[in-house]
Amino acid sequence: MARATGGRADQPAPCVEVTGVTKRYGATVALDDVSLEILPGTIHALVGENGAGKSTLLGVLAGRVAPTSGRVRIFGEPAALGNPRRARAAGVTAIYQELTIVPALDAAANVFLGTPLARSGWLARDRMRARFAELCRDFEVTIDPDVAAGGLSIADQQLLEIMRATQADSRVMLFDEPTASLGAPERAQLHALLRRLRSQGVTVVLVSHNLEEVLDLSDEITVFRDGRIADARPAVAWTKASLVEAMSGRRTALVTRTSRPPERTATDPVLTVTGLSAPGVLRDVTLDVAAGEIVGVAGLVGSGRTSLLRALAGLTPGAVGALTVDGRVTRLPRSVREAQRRGIALVPEDRKGQGLVLTASARVNIGLPDLHRSARAGWLSGRRLTDQAAEAARGFGFDPARLGQPVGQLSGGNQQKALLARWIYARPRVLLCDEPTRGIDIGAKEQILASLREFAGQGLAIVLASSEFEELVAACDRVVVLSRGRIVSVQRPGDGTVTPATLLRAAFDHQPFVEDSHVS
Amino acid sequence: MSADGTTTLERPVPAAREDARRSGQRLLGGLVNSPLTRLGTVWFLLLLVVLAGLLYPGFYDSGNLRNILSQNAPIGLIAVGMTFAMIGGGFDLSVGAVAAVSSVTVAKLTASVGLPQAVGLTLLVAAGLGLLNGLLVTRLSINPFVATLGTASIYSGAAYLISDSQPIVVTVPHFQWLGQGLVGGVPVSVWILAVVFAIGALALWGTVFGHCTYAVGGNREAARLAGIRVDLVQVVGYVVVALMAGLAGVLLTSRLGVGQADVGSDMTLDAITIVVVGGTSLFGGEGSVWRTGVGLLLLGVIINVADFQGWSGQLESILKGCVLLTAVGLDVLTRRLRARAGAAST
Ligand SMILES: Nc1ncnc2c1ncn2[C@@H]1O[C@H](COP(=O)(O)OP(=O)(O)OP(=O)(O)O)[C@@H](O)[C@H]1O
Ligand SMILES: [Mg+2]
Repeated sequence: MARATGGRADQPAPCVEVTGVTKRYGATVALDDVSLEILPGTIHALVGENGAGKSTLLGVLAGRVAPTSGRVRIFGEPAALGNPRRARAAGVTAIYQELTIVPALDAAANVFLGTPLARSGWLARDRMRARFAELCRDFEVTIDPDVAAGGLSIADQQLLEIMRATQADSRVMLFDEPTASLGAPERAQLHALLRRLRSQGVTVVLVSHNLEEVLDLSDEITVFRDGRIADARPAVAWTKASLVEAMSGRRTALVTRTSRPPERTATDPVLTVTGLSAPGVLRDVTLDVAAGEIVGVAGLVGSGRTSLLRALAGLTPGAVGALTVDGRVTRLPRSVREAQRRGIALVPEDRKGQGLVLTASARVNIGLPDLHRSARAGWLSGRRLTDQAAEAARGFGFDPARLGQPVGQLSGGNQQKALLARWIYARPRVLLCDEPTRGIDIGAKEQILASLREFAGQGLAIVLASSEFEELVAACDRVVVLSRGRIVSVQRPGDGTVTPATLLRAAFDHQPFVEDSHVS
Repeated sequence: MSADGTTTLERPVPAAREDARRSGQRLLGGLVNSPLTRLGTVWFLLLLVVLAGLLYPGFYDSGNLRNILSQNAPIGLIAVGMTFAMIGGGFDLSVGAVAAVSSVTVAKLTASVGLPQAVGLTLLVAAGLGLLNGLLVTRLSINPFVATLGTASIYSGAAYLISDSQPIVVTVPHFQWLGQGLVGGVPVSVWILAVVFAIGALALWGTVFGHCTYAVGGNREAARLAGIRVDLVQVVGYVVVALMAGLAGVLLTSRLGVGQADVGSDMTLDAITIVVVGGTSLFGGEGSVWRTGVGLLLLGVIINVADFQGWSGQLESILKGCVLLTAVGLDVLTRRLRARAGAAST
């Protein structure tokens, strides 16, 4: 579907036309005079660094955000700006970066949110159930229609949103980082879905930090930088290197594999957990982490990665197992505070729900675990807090100028960086990271992984759960692979023979746990 | 086993103690999640009805049962309306004042216009007051507690002004039929209550409007982005609750034969108590009309027994407070247990 940008005469009329759109938030210019055309029946990708304005543009198209100035036409008709209802009526729906689920409503009701199947005002529950079952079949998932959506995993919640959009007969579908919370198989399924949508004539606008995915899927790629369009070309005219260059505005060496520290002499583990079980989610997991080591946790969605980390951080009440921290045998922590006292910190996967106070500034969010340190005699010193927060945030490429801004106003990727900075600020002994690079742009991702290595080098023990197996291979000394709540394999990327494919194969492997594989 | 029912593990075979602990947890989880215990208040009510029968020999007399229902009809109407407002994420502290305005308005109007017109106009006034509440909350984004606290004070003052702080005696014939008449041996007010409950329950459970109400109360932003007219849904909630308060005011006036500005004094808190005891969430998005029905009966029976025991109003008030806190406390407890039983996804 290569299309020369020059010859416009034979092209179909664009289905989305953005003309001179500017969006200001106070002094921040999120979008600066952006003009863009999207052709019907294509997959059009938007890429750019964190805070470049991609989500804001999607918000404008979907009626979530009212632009300060500018015009939008959908299929030639002027769009009602800032009105999600009218945008939907015009055939535009969005799957947002921060999920929009009604937690108390059941799964089926969430799929039909706003547009329930009904006959003259009465809900047609039978038809909705049948349709829900059909959608589940299409997506090859099993989700109980009656379970409250709030109890589902993030990946399942996102699937509900995608089902909602397909259900609403959208002609233009906007996806804001849809694959960020998905594992490899779900990701492949989503790719197939996007292609299927395109073949059905639906126009897809895709925001993603995964450049391989973008190059592979899209017809056109538009690069954003600082609220402006840096460049727009057909996908075939881009390479990964040229995309990175256009995003950052400078030539950078591409994704060098994080240099690995020399083999350490065996140190005693900082944290050892044995026989960790939690009803229904974890079974007899044994794991240890030494100072200076990064241990990866791989596995498919639902394999127990998050549960493992949560259990170590005191968030899974039913969990049992023996824990040793710094040679001292203790019980599993029963609360976050208890975990913190032992020096265990968790960076959770759901940054909004479990991590950040959205109305508070970034520096307060970073300093939250230990505000005492920035206080004198109970009085918080703003300057000390800023200094210490800035120091913690620097490692993750968080712009210090944004420290005073409420976290709710930061872009998704910058929120994630603030969350990471918080737990470095807390100076833990053991750092548990659940999907730490979700929603992070490619440049910053390298930086974050490099920083984690550096913190490990300073003696921190790190456990890193990720659905991006490339990342695990690049950053970890050891990777344990979970399947159905058990460790099924242990791999050592250090010797150079382990590839992401090795991990994926192991994750699919349901063979019982081999006895000696956890010995470090 | 896990919350989404997608992950299942074979049953583990750990040490015996472990095993016992787990099966204990499973049993607990099963109990907490079974439909019966979810309706904790239903059990509470049944227990109470049995106890009441033992304590109070005349409890099951049809006369007494009729009394319980007809005495609680006005407050029951308001509670149904409050259920709508609260599930939609709203809250209304002005219902007592709206009932008072309606009481004096209908009493005044009967003197000048026909009975149906008087009732119709009164309900219209009540709906208007609800509309004002709704607009304050949605258009001006005033916090619902603050907005309706303010209007409650205004409406209540207005009721005293309208009535000159005097009871207005209604002399029109037939007016008392609404509050005192019987149809097929059942008080008219109870018929009205039953019809309102049925309509309310159906509307919330089975209509698009009901669906939208749950969505708006459960996550306002998600509902807005899904294209739901969130303001409209909430305003309708406030109008419904005010309309019910108006109807309650009319029924009370008819039963007493006088319109008074102080009829609604206890009603606001009683209505909220009933809704919350029934198990509708204070934060919106969860609950149902039939739960409110259970809450209404629960409180009705307790007050009835207390009356029989000759308890004073003060004691009754203490009792109501205890019931409220017990019900809410139990609710929090079962939720916690349920969360524990089905803990953790992924
Ligand atoms: N509600 C808001 N109030 C103030 N500033 C905002 C708000 N929403 C976004 N911004 C700012 O607008 C800019 C663009 O944000 P946007 O969310 O569009 O970035 P993005 O390209 O989606 O980044 P990411 O890849 O991190 O998701 C950022 O500087 C952000 O801080
Ligand atoms: Mg974004």
